[in-house]
Amino acid sequence: MSKPSDLIQGTLDLLILKTLALEPMHGWAIAKRIQQVSQEVLQVTQGALYPALHRLEQQGWLRAEWRASETGREAKFYRLTKAGRVQLDKELEQWRRLSHAVVQVVGEA
Amino acid sequence: MDRWCNLLRMRLRSWMRRKRVETELDRELRYHLERQVEENLAAGISAGEARLAALRMFGGVSQVQEECREMRRTQYVENLWQDLRYAVRMLGKSPVFTVVVVLTLALSIGANSAIFSVIDGVLLKPLPYPRAERLARVFYRSKNFAKFPVNPWDFLDFRARNRSFESFAIYTRSDIQLSGVGEPVKLSAFRISAGYFTVLGVAPARGREFDFVEERPGNGNVVILSDRLWRRQFGAATDILGRKIVLDAKPYTVVGVMPPGVDHPGNAYNSVAYGDTVDAWYPFEFEGNPGQRGPHYLEGIGRLKPGVTVTQAAADFNTIMADLATHYPGDQGWTIYMVPLYQEIVGPVHRLLLVLLGAVGLVLLIACVNTANLLLARATARQREIAVRAALGAGRWRLVRQMLAESLLMAILGGGLGALLASAGVRALVAFLPAGFPRLAAIHVNGLVFGFTALITLATGLFFGLVPALQSSRTDLQQGLREGGRGATGTGRQTRLRSALVVGEVSLACVLLAGAGVMLRSFLNLLHTDAGFQPLHVLTARVSLPDTTYKTKDAIARFYKTLLDGLSTLPGVQAAGAGTDLPWTGYDDNLGGFTIEGKQEPPNESFHARYHAATPDYFRAIGIPLVRGRYFTDRDIKGAPRALIVNQAMARRYWPNEDPVGWRIDFFDDKPKDSDWYTIVGVVGDVKDKPQNSAAEPAFWWPIPQQPWGFGDMSVVLRSASDPVRLTGHLREAVRGLDPSLAVADVRLLDQVAAESFSTPRISLFLVGLFAALALSLAAIGIYGVISYSVSQRMHEFGMRVALGASSWDVIRLVMGQSVALTAIGVTLGLGTTLALAGILDSMLYGVSAKDPLTLICVAATAVATAAMACYPSARRATSADPVAALRAE
Repeated sequence: MSKPSDLIQGTLDLLILKTLALEPMHGWAIAKRIQQVSQEVLQVTQGALYPALHRLEQQGWLRAEWRASETGREAKFYRLTKAGRVQLDKELEQWRRLSHAVVQVVGEA
Repeated sequence: MDRWCNLLRMRLRSWMRRKRVETELDRELRYHLERQVEENLAAGISAGEARLAALRMFGGVSQVQEECREMRRTQYVENLWQDLRYAVRMLGKSPVFTVVVVLTLALSIGANSAIFSVIDGVLLKPLPYPRAERLARVFYRSKNFAKFPVNPWDFLDFRARNRSFESFAIYTRSDIQLSGVGEPVKLSAFRISAGYFTVLGVAPARGREFDFVEERPGNGNVVILSDRLWRRQFGAATDILGRKIVLDAKPYTVVGVMPPGVDHPGNAYNSVAYGDTVDAWYPFEFEGNPGQRGPHYLEGIGRLKPGVTVTQAAADFNTIMADLATHYPGDQGWTIYMVPLYQEIVGPVHRLLLVLLGAVGLVLLIACVNTANLLLARATARQREIAVRAALGAGRWRLVRQMLAESLLMAILGGGLGALLASAGVRALVAFLPAGFPRLAAIHVNGLVFGFTALITLATGLFFGLVPALQSSRTDLQQGLREGGRGATGTGRQTRLRSALVVGEVSLACVLLAGAGVMLRSFLNLLHTDAGFQPLHVLTARVSLPDTTYKTKDAIARFYKTLLDGLSTLPGVQAAGAGTDLPWTGYDDNLGGFTIEGKQEPPNESFHARYHAATPDYFRAIGIPLVRGRYFTDRDIKGAPRALIVNQAMARRYWPNEDPVGWRIDFFDDKPKDSDWYTIVGVVGDVKDKPQNSAAEPAFWWPIPQQPWGFGDMSVVLRSASDPVRLTGHLREAVRGLDPSLAVADVRLLDQVAAESFSTPRISLFLVGLFAALALSLAAIGIYGVISYSVSQRMHEFGMRVALGASSWDVIRLVMGQSVALTAIGVTLGLGTTLALAGILDSMLYGVSAKDPLTLICVAATAVATAAMACYPSARRATSADPVAALRAE
């Protein structure tokens, strides 16, 4: 019932948007991609992923459509909208400022 | 902007096409799950294991679904709908519970709305005059009289000299007979000074109001009609202004017609009901000797200048009063008592209404507590259902919302039914209230009342729903599921909460019971105190003689003697009399400054008493007993030695240790001749001044032929052996036989007059009694619920006790003991509260204190007895506990 997420909500949004910036993907693929790219460091649980996808879709940053997946079955593919790209830029910018600030404080440059 | 459109589109889609969105969500998650299974298989896990592992990794599917829905937000609407449908189903499943709750809520919400309508109409609505907060009533006050009317010549001085009022006027009840337009009718009329309508702030719709010239003697033959009279008697004739009409056999010129709905501001003496009750107004003519100041019988009303307070105005008037007193001895010992018009009108019922609102509010509170209690009990029984729903992914808030939907649904049903009850109840209430009740005509169920109903309905639903909802949503999931199979157990906390609620209910019910109890005692005291007259089998009617036709006292006396002589020969008539006044109809006129032979007026105070005139048989007809001396006889006529009858109150005040019979009084002469004196020939019993007031005011009676003024406005009183209604026809016939131009008005039975005087205390007693009964039943339901639940929990224990040798009686005592203990705490709290609140009621009670020990003991006994009865069925059930089953279970 509670949100079993290790990631800060905003961060998960950023990861999803960034991942989808390359190409439209379905939920499973998004989770896998984040896992692979982060070299298994970031584990996105389904309990966090799907609500986030639905929320982003509601915000208008993603658009979903059903089409055949690589396995041949139908899956729900999410793709970034124009508003989503703008949002991604915004979030990236924020992330850069935040991580830079954290690095400054922690003192490892 | 774009985003909002998108959001709206998405939400609309998710809402309009719920089914499709739901299937898609399902498919989406299933796809994910399948991929996971495939991955597990690829990793070499066995088929069955792979699926389980995937599910484990995924976490709760339904939880994720619920959260995704949450993200779409539409569930607010969707869930509300779902919650409501579910609530309807759940309520339908336990119809008895639902009906009990909805009915108790309907009754208490309905009662609250009804009382609120009365409060709205009487207290909240502004008075129907512009800037009504600046209107004030003016009275005199002395050591003996808290509120006394104004006299004419003082009024003129006050009007000329005061600096506080924009305008100041007097008015006095002076009914008048209209003839020449169909049957003669008696009009409810007032004599008013110039500027009366300016004070009220109402202008005539046609014509004008009176000017100062018309106040002078001989100039007053002009009249202003009410809109009602103009339409009813004159067919709304547009040429009415300037027309001459016949009032009391004299021609009057119509100079004005008021707009419809001019409200009478109320009058203390010979009072007319509030509202649109006056038919006509004509000028008050200032006659007589200014040095004598005139009798006190005028009602003062003024409009304060902006920014001037009533206190400042009273101080201004008192300065003038002090100056007048140096010139006129009769003005000594008086001060001015000024009161805002609003307070003068609603003051007498203000407290009563607030007490009723308090009582009915308590009922609502008890109904809420009771419903919360029942809901808690039901929540315990529904623990398994709740646990299952929580396990299936319902969040706590979602559970609370579901429970609230149920309670709100019940509250709305109750409120709707209550609104219906209220509109019927208000009509009944208005019908039962006496005609003299302030602003009766302003009481309606209106939008504000319905708003109030809606508000208390919602507040009620939230109030009684929230506690149980929060309580039960805290259910321990595992325990709920595990134990759910065999009847649920209540946690200690819930049991404690429920007991506390019952204690609260009992204590509130006790407060109401105590209130109803003392009001009942007060009412019985009122009924049983001697009114001073015998109202049964007495017919009264007003027959007024116009002074143009009946110019002399002789003519007046002759008319009434002939009429009464005729009437007394009618079969069944025991006594036929006539008098200027009837008890309890507002006869309050006082005469001051008379001389009692051989007595000195106390310093700063003149002799005062109420004055009346009566025929010999008046006292017998009305049932006022003779204490000393004799009644008037037919020999007390013009020329005979003047006779006077006084009441006991007057005898006590001026002859504290003497027999007043034989003493002489002179009323108007500076140097009385021997024939000017009135000799006291009899003392009659006291008639209580007001039904609610045991005191009688000093009063005396002149015989009609010897009265100093030409009173020709008498109430005829007929005492009959049986039902006096049948005498009405004879009376009308007799009057018509003597003078066909006379109207017979205000035909009433004296016991009706008496009953009307009691109707306010009666209806308030009825209402508070009703509320108390409702409260007690609710408390009984509460006790029954708690005890029967506790017994069902302890059946096993009782079985053990029986097995160990406890008798049925022991078990009953155990259960009863629990109920009585709860009740005792409630009673103690309730009586404590009652004692603390007693001050509020005290001023409304007659001959009993709000702390009346007998009543409090009865209340405690009633509460305990009710509690015992309420728990008896449960106690019986406890004795049926099976010892064998209990032992086997061990």
